[in-house]
Amino acid sequence: MNAARGSSQQNVWRFRRRTDVPLWLNILIRLFAVALALVLVSVILQLGGLQPIALGKKALVQTLATSYGLQQTAILATPLIMTGLAVALGMKMRLWNIGTDGQLYLGAFAATAVGLFVQGPTWIMLVLMFIAGALGGILWILIPAILRAYWNVNEIITTLLLNFVAVLLVSHFAIGPWRDTGAAILSATRRIPYEIPAFGTSYLHIGLFIPLIIAVLLAIVMRNTQWGYEVRVIGSNRGAAEFTGMPVLRHILIIMLLSGAIAGISGMIIIAGTSHRLSGTISNSYGYMGIIVAALANGSPLGVLVSGILLAILLNAGIVLQTSGLSVSAMLAINGVILIFAAVGEVATQYRLVRERVEVRLQPGMAETSNAQVVQAGTVPPEKERTE
Amino acid sequence: MINVLSGVLAAAIASGTVIALAALGELLAERSGVQNLGLEGVMAMGALTAIAAVRWHPDPYFGLLAAILVGLLLGIVYATATVIFRANQVLCGLGLAFFGTGLSGRLGAPLSGFPSPATFQPVRIPLLADIPIIGNAVFNQPLLVYFAFFVLPPVISFVIHQTRHGMQVRSVGENPGAADACGISVTKIRLLYTCIGCMLAAIGGAYITLAFTPSWIEGITAGRGWIAIALVIFGAWRPLPVVLGALLFGAVTSLGFVAQLQGWGIPSSFLAMMPYLGTILLMAIPILFRSRALRKLSASPAALGIPYIREGM
Repeated sequence: MNAARGSSQQNVWRFRRRTDVPLWLNILIRLFAVALALVLVSVILQLGGLQPIALGKKALVQTLATSYGLQQTAILATPLIMTGLAVALGMKMRLWNIGTDGQLYLGAFAATAVGLFVQGPTWIMLVLMFIAGALGGILWILIPAILRAYWNVNEIITTLLLNFVAVLLVSHFAIGPWRDTGAAILSATRRIPYEIPAFGTSYLHIGLFIPLIIAVLLAIVMRNTQWGYEVRVIGSNRGAAEFTGMPVLRHILIIMLLSGAIAGISGMIIIAGTSHRLSGTISNSYGYMGIIVAALANGSPLGVLVSGILLAILLNAGIVLQTSGLSVSAMLAINGVILIFAAVGEVATQYRLVRERVEVRLQPGMAETSNAQVVQAGTVPPEKERTE
Repeated sequence: MINVLSGVLAAAIASGTVIALAALGELLAERSGVQNLGLEGVMAMGALTAIAAVRWHPDPYFGLLAAILVGLLLGIVYATATVIFRANQVLCGLGLAFFGTGLSGRLGAPLSGFPSPATFQPVRIPLLADIPIIGNAVFNQPLLVYFAFFVLPPVISFVIHQTRHGMQVRSVGENPGAADACGISVTKIRLLYTCIGCMLAAIGGAYITLAFTPSWIEGITAGRGWIAIALVIFGAWRPLPVVLGALLFGAVTSLGFVAQLQGWGIPSSFLAMMPYLGTILLMAIPILFRSRALRKLSASPAALGIPYIREGM
């Protein structure tokens, strides 16, 4: 410690706000959040008398090392990426579509209605079901979107509440009027005769490309069109966008409807691609997990592709481990932890630890004081709360 | 007919109590500027904890206490993430909601379907309970009901609007920078009220499994946490309208019971949709307020959902 009178220089660790967060840090911190959540869950499992490492190994082997596991993961990734894209699209404008689960159900419902009650050649029918799915999703977000755009009614709550309504509606039809009376199935409709063509004998179907195409399209539109530019401007500064005359309300409406359409299409893909029957349980909380997919991707459409696959692996691991004490509820809980860690991690990316030289002015007679006191006298001490 | 009316009222109050407790908790947190979307998860954990605790020691107040402690714990976790680390409140809130509903579903699986061994008994208030029609419905209820409808709203209203401390809380929710400059600890007040909010939500959950429908099934909260958040908006962050909204919600729910009992021929799934659709309708009502004064009156706390970062940091 320099004890000279007058002034002295000193090196101090400080947290400084970043003006620009590098991509690698964003990715790193999110992977860290997922890893930390998994470690936490492992500790809990260990305390509960289970062997987390053996379980994790079993899950990974059955998910990634078998052909069936890989196919299953790809099938789970499809709706997760779709709902993730739907949420990410809203995030661009700070809109939260929490109702993708309901829109997925309505898309599936509309596609089923077309599949059950209209007859025609498979390709035309698939196109019709696709359109019906999109319209079902749009219908389900229409009221929240109008309320949000024109009267500023909180869209988080309205979209979420409609999830409950959607499940009730679909269950009603699946158990009631549309129930398959021929088979011994109690809670699903009869098999819909129109199916998305599969690859050879596998479970995989060409519908898996739809999320890929939509993600790339969204990325291009957001980056290279005036519309995408306006959406980004509104998202970062609504006041400025209004001032320059951008049609903010119309953009809010369109973004939300588009978000609903994407979620609705994912319902159609489930019906025509994998489940083939409508029931009240076609969604493994896909809509809710979509929020995590979008948050991990930081709202980037191409990032959603990666985080969607990551969460599909996790979800499949959870399903594989169902016999070993895990369940879909447990997966939802783990996802909740990941989301909280990711949100906290995001704050951490906004700061960086730097070592700075600071000038410490000493008042006469203070030369003999200790290091800590000098810092207090001269500068603001770094606070613990500044980051994390 | 009178019996039906009395029954509707009793059911409205019973199901309204759950929402009222959680909504009042959310109101306190939001008044200090913290939006907690995790209410649903906290409520589910409170409900599970209460029934698990009374299975171990059959005293409803023991179950209530256990639920409050779990609520406090979740509140501390949420407040640490959002107030101390200043993480995004929407993401953390959703995370908490998923965590609570998921964990309660997993941990509660072995308890599924068992009735609660101890429940809150109704406490009859003499004289008042003899009033025709409303007497038995309103004044022959568990103590928590009186607490939710007659004790909490006036107390919260008084503290928030009439005391110095309440003004500090409101200032933290409206303009934390100014409050900070006046020497009020933004962090302390937000931490405190977020935790109180979670404890009240957990009490609401405990009321479900210890009185309203005394058994456990996964998803027993059925979105009541979300409805509570909606009611805070509907009630314009004021305790009395929020509680009235909870009662109205309860009435909508109990109409479903009545329709089922009376056999009106409406499918039960459609009746079950009513609370959710009704809540969305309630949220749309303020758009009818054309006058500026009314709009101003129903505005949210200015700093709601925005983490406070002291300037220069």
